[in-house]
Amino acid sequence: MRPNRRKWLSAPGLVLLLGFAVAPLFIMLYYSFQSDSGSGAFTLENYLRFFSKPFYMELTRRTIVNSLVVTVICLVIAFPLAYIMAKKFRRSSMVILAMLMLPFFTNQMVRVYSWLVFLQDGGILERLLNALGLAEGRLGILYTQTAVLIALVQVYFSYMVITLYMALDRLDDSLLEASANLGASKVSTFFKVILPLSWPGMLSGCLLVFVPCLGSFVEPRILGGVNGTVIGTVIEDQFFEIYGWNFGAAIAFVLLVMVMITTTLVSRIGEGAETT
Amino acid sequence: MKKGRLSSVLCGVYVVCSMLYLYVPLLVLIVMGFNHSKYNSLPFEFSLRWYEALAENRALIQSCVNSLYLAAVTGVACAVLATMMLLGNPYLPRRLKNLAEFLMNMPLSIPWLVLGLSLLLMLRSVDMSKNLPFLLLGHIVVSFPYSALVLRSRMQSMDPALEEASASLGATAMTTFRRVTLPVIAPAVVAGGFLSFMISFGNFAISYFLIPVGMTTLPIEVNTSIKFGFTPEINAISTIVVGITVLCLALAGTILGSGIKSLFGGRK
Repeated sequence: MRPNRRKWLSAPGLVLLLGFAVAPLFIMLYYSFQSDSGSGAFTLENYLRFFSKPFYMELTRRTIVNSLVVTVICLVIAFPLAYIMAKKFRRSSMVILAMLMLPFFTNQMVRVYSWLVFLQDGGILERLLNALGLAEGRLGILYTQTAVLIALVQVYFSYMVITLYMALDRLDDSLLEASANLGASKVSTFFKVILPLSWPGMLSGCLLVFVPCLGSFVEPRILGGVNGTVIGTVIEDQFFEIYGWNFGAAIAFVLLVMVMITTTLVSRIGEGAETT
Repeated sequence: MKKGRLSSVLCGVYVVCSMLYLYVPLLVLIVMGFNHSKYNSLPFEFSLRWYEALAENRALIQSCVNSLYLAAVTGVACAVLATMMLLGNPYLPRRLKNLAEFLMNMPLSIPWLVLGLSLLLMLRSVDMSKNLPFLLLGHIVVSFPYSALVLRSRMQSMDPALEEASASLGATAMTTFRRVTLPVIAPAVVAGGFLSFMISFGNFAISYFLIPVGMTTLPIEVNTSIKFGFTPEINAISTIVVGITVLCLALAGTILGSGIKSLFGGRK
């Protein structure tokens, strides 16, 4: 095949993604400006409804805060593990890596269900904690925000570790040795050498966690119950319970804009970090 | 010396604790699949009754078969489409090439919830009812990037001089593809296909919005049974699902080796 014909190989993929990933978003945008009366006229009522009710503002705030909390927890517990994999246990790093990937690829529903069984009142965790004398009586974790956080951190933890691991793996050991030889303490080596150099990896890891968390609805619905309401579950309700599709489309578009702003912001900061 | 020992012990403890966090709920689920009690309660009493019940539960088995079928078609389609796209990309005009690069990553950076419902709205806009081909398209779109990322990193590490050498030695384009390019990228094609297979197999969000009336997939069926009370057969089928995942991941990992990390590096 000559090169000028070979380019046509890209066509099916391009058509697929343009037609079924990009075009639907525009259709969603169109519906978000439609009124439920079906008159077909352009209206802002869906967006006005969203932005005028304190309930939805509170919901947006809560969604963002929850996603941030998940991201920060992931970062804090993933960093030591990634560091251990990259600098301490090099030989077993591939085994750890494989073990990290399995939960990520395990059926989402199976994973959520496993937390449900594990955390429920009278479940394994309760019995374990009671037996150890660490807690008494009912556990009361299921159907709270805590349960949602525990499950979301578990899912995205792997992403964070692997991204950080790759950043730290690239970090040259001689830099750490040089820092130590020049008399820097471990703490100042961490803040002056390790942290600045792994910063881009941390950023992209945070993005990988934060964005899917914004759109999560399965974990909040099943593990959070009535306390788990976030933007994702409200959108789901609009489509499956209330049949307010146009309003649902508007909320989904707000969510999409939040995602796009985050992505752009983070990649800007990331570019800045890489040039300095 | 003693200090070094202590720090590696601490590191080991940290690794073990992390793994416990990741695996304990799944392990509990698997063990409970062999427990006699209906409410996952203790004491543990070994029994295969839930596997027997599973064998009788036609709906659950059918949903599992449906999921496997969907995932298999998705995996193959993604592998083929991603290969074609990445083979063609270098020859596209520059702007189109940038667009293609952007599009390949896009389904990863948009919540599946948004993609799923926008596809549903698309169906509604043309007054079509939910149907299997459309469900399949949705699955292919969200699973596509996983094939593409793995393939892209493999192709980037391939020396373009190989293809040029083959062409200048007089091989036809087809021969070059068959004897030079394909052997280099084949492992990534297969492994990428497996990853897409797994993403589709586990996908709930897209199926939730697009599933035709009367059809179920495994995640949908699990969701229904969570809503309407526990069925311990779920424990049993979950064990089988985890088994399938381990198998697929082991295959993909064996084929790709450390190249599997490209999944996490390519997404920024």
